[in-house]
Amino acid sequence: MESHKQLRDAGFEVSSFGTGSSVKLPGPSIDRPNVYEFGTPYEQIYQDLISQEYRKMYEANGLILMLDRNRQVKRAPEKWHANAAAGKFDLVITCEERCFDSVLEDLMMRMNNKSEEEEAKDVRQVVHVINVDIKDDNENAKIGGKGIVKLVKMINEYREKEKQRKVDEGQEDQYPVIMEDEIMKILTEWQRDHVHLPTLYSASYY
Amino acid sequence: MAEEVGAIVAQLDQARELAFSNTEMFPQVVKQILNLVNHPSIEIQRWCGLFLKKAFTSEPKEVPKGVIIDLAIDALVPAKTLAQTKDLEVFKAVIDLSIILYKLVFSYVADNDGSHAIWDSLRNLKNDLITKFDSQFPFEPSYDKEHDQVRNLDAKLELLKFLFTVIDYQSRSSSTRFYSLARVNPQHTLIKQGPMEAEALALLEKVLAPIQDEILVTPLVTAVMNHLAVVVRRKRQFLDRVIPVLESFESNSKLQSNYESLEAFKLSKKYCDRTLRCLLNYMSKSQIIPPAYQNAVNRKIATLTSRGDDIRKKNILEASPDDTNIKKRKYEGFENPSKKIKTLDYKHLYGLTDVNSDLNNFDLSTLPQHILVSMALTALQRADVKRLAAALEIVSSRYSEVVKGMSQVKSEAATGDDEEDDDDAAENFTSETTYTVPPPKSLSFQEKKEHVKMIVDNFFGLSEKNGDSQEIVKKQDNGSVSKELTKVAVKTWNRDSWLLLLTRLATRGMYTIDGDESSQDVAQNEQLSDIIRQALFDYFLANIHERVDTTIEWLNEEWYSEKVTNEEKLRDEIREKWQQKYESDPNSVDDMERKIEQEVASTPVDTPRYNKWCQKVLDAMIPFLEPTDRKIFLRMISDLPYLNEKMLSGVKSLCADPARSKLGFLALQFLVMYRPPIKEACFNVLRELQSSDQEDLKEEASKLLTKYGQ
Repeated sequence: MESHKQLRDAGFEVSSFGTGSSVKLPGPSIDRPNVYEFGTPYEQIYQDLISQEYRKMYEANGLILMLDRNRQVKRAPEKWHANAAAGKFDLVITCEERCFDSVLEDLMMRMNNKSEEEEAKDVRQVVHVINVDIKDDNENAKIGGKGIVKLVKMINEYREKEKQRKVDEGQEDQYPVIMEDEIMKILTEWQRDHVHLPTLYSASYY
Repeated sequence: MAEEVGAIVAQLDQARELAFSNTEMFPQVVKQILNLVNHPSIEIQRWCGLFLKKAFTSEPKEVPKGVIIDLAIDALVPAKTLAQTKDLEVFKAVIDLSIILYKLVFSYVADNDGSHAIWDSLRNLKNDLITKFDSQFPFEPSYDKEHDQVRNLDAKLELLKFLFTVIDYQSRSSSTRFYSLARVNPQHTLIKQGPMEAEALALLEKVLAPIQDEILVTPLVTAVMNHLAVVVRRKRQFLDRVIPVLESFESNSKLQSNYESLEAFKLSKKYCDRTLRCLLNYMSKSQIIPPAYQNAVNRKIATLTSRGDDIRKKNILEASPDDTNIKKRKYEGFENPSKKIKTLDYKHLYGLTDVNSDLNNFDLSTLPQHILVSMALTALQRADVKRLAAALEIVSSRYSEVVKGMSQVKSEAATGDDEEDDDDAAENFTSETTYTVPPPKSLSFQEKKEHVKMIVDNFFGLSEKNGDSQEIVKKQDNGSVSKELTKVAVKTWNRDSWLLLLTRLATRGMYTIDGDESSQDVAQNEQLSDIIRQALFDYFLANIHERVDTTIEWLNEEWYSEKVTNEEKLRDEIREKWQQKYESDPNSVDDMERKIEQEVASTPVDTPRYNKWCQKVLDAMIPFLEPTDRKIFLRMISDLPYLNEKMLSGVKSLCADPARSKLGFLALQFLVMYRPPIKEACFNVLRELQSSDQEDLKEEASKLLTKYGQ
């Protein structure tokens, strides 16, 4: 959600999802999390936590603030595996290796689980899946969010920068700059500057 | 043009709104757009491509399925036309369009056996796109195969979708859930199970190639792996091929590409391993891995997981002792393949290495001449022919570019102020002046004869060198270019090639089309031909026993050439005769062509030249025949194209010779049995022998006459 906020503020068209079976938030102790169904409005979750006796603890660890941020971004948490209505994406960024695996597996599942009628008129779309490993706490989420915004900007702006570089160096190569050809250079360049945020990448379809 | 295109696009936009808002207009609008794909403007072609893609992937729901299928059939040829447009956006739209067309039309043909034209159009489109997967379309290929492998990935990722669709439709599926070859009638005359399945397997090999390649093209490798999720679930019959490929994928044995940094290569390996693990886990959870492979797959998953855990603990971009294990792929391209040069000097014109390389500053002219020659020869011998040709093409393009620039400079100077000297030069030069080389002096007849003899001697000299052919090839083993040239020459020259050349020269090369026998030219050409024939005859005489085959070949060529020539001459004469008859009395000639053919067929065509030389060969051969020469003599008389009674007189003389009469009678018997046209002539010879005063001849002749039809 932090990345969603920062990307949206940066002007990108963005959606966000979770890959778990339900929404889990820290509770009074590590073995007693607060669990909600995907689709439960953030406003409702917010009110629920405020009304609990552990409210002060939630305020102290930033949970209340996080939920306040989330409800400003969108209505409710969404489940990745049920996001067909949102259409198809060019780029999917995950923040945990388990989520990366889950997304790839889900894409494989979707390619195999369409109805026959859907299959007959379906044209699969290429989707680039990138994982940026972010530790699951507020401070690292902010750092990771900035990194992700930088990465998306690099992907978006690489074409123009590369064109300019070719002009400056006097290359007459008429070959255009194609993002798919450059994705490894972009990821390598970004990774060099963000060694603490390891990456994964895969090109898939759905 | 720009305004026109803009206006057309504006109209097209309105048409699109109409098509998608008014269902009844949809088919008509689509058909109009199909007619527009040939427009020369790329912008309009792009518009058409995107429109057609949308029309077939998200058509209005109210349009009946049958109408969509009809439109799909109509769209096959326009789609192939658009697929030739060298524009990435158009090409990508065409790929998506073609996927839908393929699905719709394939199932239509399956249900309508006998749709030959439709099936052909579909196959043409399919084959065109499959071919482009191995090319750089819509861009031009570079001079380095590896460079082409690592770029144009956008188009390749899109084409993968089409290839996997074809694999899916052209092979049986493990379940009946989706459309597949299993639903096609096994007796279908167009969609045959065997060839379809074979092609699907061939395409599977094609899409597996990036995984098996020696370098890692990460977007392509991961895309193939992810897409295999469909194949492994639906086509269990392909698991025996797919699983071994996945199992043998080992990122640590891949080579670093010349077009990626070491850091990028390390990340590539990590990414590909992770994707492979995801695929294997997916297969495992789906319970589709056959028992025979389960242990191997589990070991592979464990290896990949362990490797991933190790990687997570460190920064893989840092230099590491393990880096020494990484090897780079051999570089096969040109470091400086640019076809334009900025500095006008020889170094930049010919240099294909890095422009900034210190090697380019070495002054070769300081080396002794013989060393330079030796270096150049060695380099040329070792150079790969294709690579050398590509290099020369680059240099040629650079040179053409420079010359073009210089000619422009000259033309600019020419428009400057003229001076007196220039005027004088202009007066002397006239653009209409054409210079011609004087025609060569005609050879006298005597000179021609001498040249023909020289040619004949050279050919016979060649025949003596047949044994040296292998030596020539072996001597050039070290030089690939020379070896190629020599090999080519030897391949087109075998032991008897000289005979064929001389024979053709004698029988056809000297022949004059204008067949006036009284012409001096014809007579002289005949003399020249006879020089060759006499040489061939003398060659035969020098070793009769070993040269029967070559002589038979020559005489067959003689007979055939003379037969064809004389028959043509006869036809012309007969035609002229009937033409005159028709002109004098049209009514008496009803079917001239038929009459001409009848007369040509019934008129004997003589071959006096062949007869003459054949007679000479037989007359020269028969006196030297021994009883043990039965085989070669029978071969001679059986393979000669034509024999007459006069030629048989030699055989008769054989019968009269007590020592060789057996051979003579055997030959006559052979001819009676196997050469019906000459049978009567043989009987005549036998009757003469029957009436001789020698009892043994009389007896033998009577026996043959009684047995074979008298």
